[in-house]
Amino acid sequence: MRVTQASEQTQFLAQIDSLQSDVSATLNQVSSGQAYTEPSQDPAAAGTVDSYDAVLAQSRQFTTNANSAQTALNTEDSTLTQVQSQLQSLRTLALEANSGTASGQDLTAIASQAQQIQSSLIALANTQDGNGNYIFAGYSTQTQPYTQTSTAVTYNGDTGQPAVQIAAGHTIATGDNGLTVFNAPTGNGTFTTTAAAGNAGTGIVGATSVSGTYTGHNYTIAFTGTGSYNVTDTTAQPNTQVVTGGTYTDGGTIAFGGVQVTLTGQPASGDTFSVAPSSSQSIFTTIQNLVTSLQASSTSTTASPQLTNSINTAINNISQSLTQTSNVQASVGGRLNAVTTQLSVDTTQQTQLQTSISALQGLDYASAITTLTTENTTLSAAMQAYTITEGLSLFKYIS
Amino acid sequence: MSDLFDISISALQAFQTGIAVTSNNIANANTPGYAVESVELTAQVPQGSTAAAIGDGVSVASINRAVDQLNNTQLYNSQSNLGQLNSLQTYTNHIDDIIGTTAGGLTTALTNYYNAWSTLANDPTSAASGQAVLSAAQAVATSFQSTNSQLQALNTGINSSITSDVSQINSLAASIANLNQKISAGANGGSSQQPNALLDQRDTELSNLSKLVGVSTTSNSDGSINVFIGNGEPLVLNGNVTTLTTVPDSFNASQLDISTTTNGTNSINSQITSGDLGGLLAARTQAVNPAINQIGQLATAFSASANTQQNSGLDLAGALGSNLFSVGAAQAVPSSNNTGSASATVTVGTTAASIGALTADNYVLSYGGGAYSLSDATTGKAVAFTQAGNTLTGPGFSVTLSQTPATGDQFLIEPTAAAAGSISVTLTNASQLASASALTATAATTNTGSGSLGTFSNPTNQTLPANTTIAFTSATTYTVNGGAAQTVGNGGLVTVGGWQATLTGTPAALDSFTVKNNVGQVGNNVNALANAAQQTQGLLASGTTSVTAATSALVTAVGSQAQQVNTAQTAQSAVNTQAIANVQAVSGVNLDDEAANLLKWQQAYQASAQALQIGNSVFTTFLDAIGATT
Repeated sequence: MRVTQASEQTQFLAQIDSLQSDVSATLNQVSSGQAYTEPSQDPAAAGTVDSYDAVLAQSRQFTTNANSAQTALNTEDSTLTQVQSQLQSLRTLALEANSGTASGQDLTAIASQAQQIQSSLIALANTQDGNGNYIFAGYSTQTQPYTQTSTAVTYNGDTGQPAVQIAAGHTIATGDNGLTVFNAPTGNGTFTTTAAAGNAGTGIVGATSVSGTYTGHNYTIAFTGTGSYNVTDTTAQPNTQVVTGGTYTDGGTIAFGGVQVTLTGQPASGDTFSVAPSSSQSIFTTIQNLVTSLQASSTSTTASPQLTNSINTAINNISQSLTQTSNVQASVGGRLNAVTTQLSVDTTQQTQLQTSISALQGLDYASAITTLTTENTTLSAAMQAYTITEGLSLFKYIS
Repeated sequence: MSDLFDISISALQAFQTGIAVTSNNIANANTPGYAVESVELTAQVPQGSTAAAIGDGVSVASINRAVDQLNNTQLYNSQSNLGQLNSLQTYTNHIDDIIGTTAGGLTTALTNYYNAWSTLANDPTSAASGQAVLSAAQAVATSFQSTNSQLQALNTGINSSITSDVSQINSLAASIANLNQKISAGANGGSSQQPNALLDQRDTELSNLSKLVGVSTTSNSDGSINVFIGNGEPLVLNGNVTTLTTVPDSFNASQLDISTTTNGTNSINSQITSGDLGGLLAARTQAVNPAINQIGQLATAFSASANTQQNSGLDLAGALGSNLFSVGAAQAVPSSNNTGSASATVTVGTTAASIGALTADNYVLSYGGGAYSLSDATTGKAVAFTQAGNTLTGPGFSVTLSQTPATGDQFLIEPTAAAAGSISVTLTNASQLASASALTATAATTNTGSGSLGTFSNPTNQTLPANTTIAFTSATTYTVNGGAAQTVGNGGLVTVGGWQATLTGTPAALDSFTVKNNVGQVGNNVNALANAAQQTQGLLASGTTSVTAATSALVTAVGSQAQQVNTAQTAQSAVNTQAIANVQAVSGVNLDDEAANLLKWQQAYQASAQALQIGNSVFTTFLDAIGATT
């Protein structure tokens, strides 16, 4: 092929330009440490890195959320420990009042101690976190959940349970509302047995249990004489007598409809005891009822059956509250474990993502430097070749 | 004796011409478009027809240009293709830079926005966290707007390049026509010699023209040529020029189309596929406008989903959340050629189904034969739609015409083009962010089935309903506040006054749920969590792709396009280098050749001069012999 000097020069310049641009691109890679500076140099990697960046940022957000959940759960956990300690003290007080040796003065003292415990519990129930949010108010975090009047303690929160997202598709509750923590089922958790206020005899409700399946109905145990009783199902319409002429023995068990009730003492004819399904009752109501009973009995010198029954009911309810709070605390512990696990999963995931991003985006220095050296060699060889061939001209030899 | 002198003198003249042509070749060794010339000599036939007559010397028959028309045609084609790729490459690389820059890019802004909601969910009452959501929302809007305005600026650049190309093409065409006239004048004047310099000039102009637009030529007997662009659109016919013009696009007056004086306002864009001009048109239709639409599609989907979520929740004051973003209305542009006076309005749906069906394409709505037809503006393929009177519903949008259009009227529907440039944040107060879920359904304690109702959403922006009882009459039917029985919708949708909740599990007959609003629950973060969860929620492409995933996919798509064009441009550069080398191999000036030629002519000249001198001495000898001299 015939080659002309002009086209040789043009081609040479184009080649030098292209080689210099290669050298500059590699130099750019080495100085920036990035395998590509524009997506077109590696579109697939650029898109992947873009989505990995998003996942990484989200994962970091999850870590932030998990840390915030951890703080909230730790606050709740320590608060619950204090609540339980107060409940234990309350139970001890109630047992003391029920010992039979307590005098009227003692009962007054116990009542006032119970009131103090109630104040402490209300303060605990109104615990606020570092941001001033009430932790037991459900979603109504800016509303004080428990307010006390002379007769009752009212819950102003809601049934919500705030949660935060600690992983994709995984939210975790950061708190529990007051109803979950401070309300507990009454009685034995299935049903309650209450002596009528006007009972004349000394019948006291003892241990109760469920035999088989409790029907969920209300019943009335009515004594017709010193040793006999009838049981009426007051839920069924019309009311039906389920036990007629039962024989009562002191400390014996009365059983019907899945209910087993032990009564002690001597109920008088006309005394009644009612059985009803357990309902959810706040610990504050329990304390209020206990204090009222204690104060009512502070003037009498001997323990009345009514007081004993009231205290027994209170002890039952306090025990239910203790079980409830310890269940909640166990759940908080479980959630804390889940958060800790997720935090370590997040850390691993973030490390892996960063490794992947570096692998896609980061520069392989060894190969880049090799490329740079090769390109440099090519460039200088091209330049040298040009200077050699450029000197060739027939005109040099014409004199 | 005199023929001896005549022969030598004819040779001296011929070789002088040879030296002159060689010198001219050397002088033009670096002149672009110059074709190397050579002298064709011919022996002069002696007068009369003597059998053993000596020749009458030499004469210059012609001075020839070394040109191979095939090589030239190949060079023109290759330059047209390279020109197209060069200008296309400029724009694809710009778009690659605009969309691909990860720092301060759209993905970062979106991720920050979703993360800000996640942080707000940790404490919905925190004013600082709320402000962070508003700032992040503003950053997303700004990112969409700046991406869009950078892309729009490319279209402005394309317009001015088109104008400049068209004016260059017109001046080249005029120059070629002018050269045609000169060349044919010479030929018609009876000259047998080729006007080499004029031909060189015309080839150079043609070569320059081929860089701007694809050309094809035909030759006429008088030496002039006809030049056609595109698919046979005449540009130069002999000495006549058809002037190229720019006209506003019939659908978008801000974009210039190509036409000619004979075509009036009709665009010949479709014919121009190569050269710099072809590259500019391709950049607009294949790169810039699709990118604007795709960014717009992202903005539309993002804003619609954020607003629906906002409408589904309660703000700190217990009011239903109002829209967080606003996006300008989609456009339906009547063609400037329409004869009817109907106008069209487009509405892009904000429901999940609409957003899932929405594409980044533009559509052409045509009216003819008493019926509408809808087609994709890029591919021209028919698109399915449903019609109710003068309202048509296509993929993700509906369009309403003010009246029945005239036959042949067309409207360009751009569902997404305007979105990214017009997205803005409408809320100013962080307390207006709807972090709380608006409604909660509580199962009655007496329920025996396993059914439960999730959080209510508000896709059609209804007001907050009063407390409501949903009573199931079977596993799949329910009544609202004792009204008429309704059937559970697809995907377990249960509807209360336009609000929707998803039923999971199977409710038993007589099971009921109480739906109450959550006014006052300032710590309720359910809706904030739902906002954050949108980062991975499928919205686009029938609800399979989240906005962030689609953004990453766009980075790849734009990068791939730039990479393809870069690769094609590199390949075409090599083809072009070869085409240049082929032309140079025939037409270029090789200085070594010319040095040898120079020696050849010089030696022949010297020899002829010597012959003249010998002739002279022969003549002198003869005169001496006859004593003619003293």
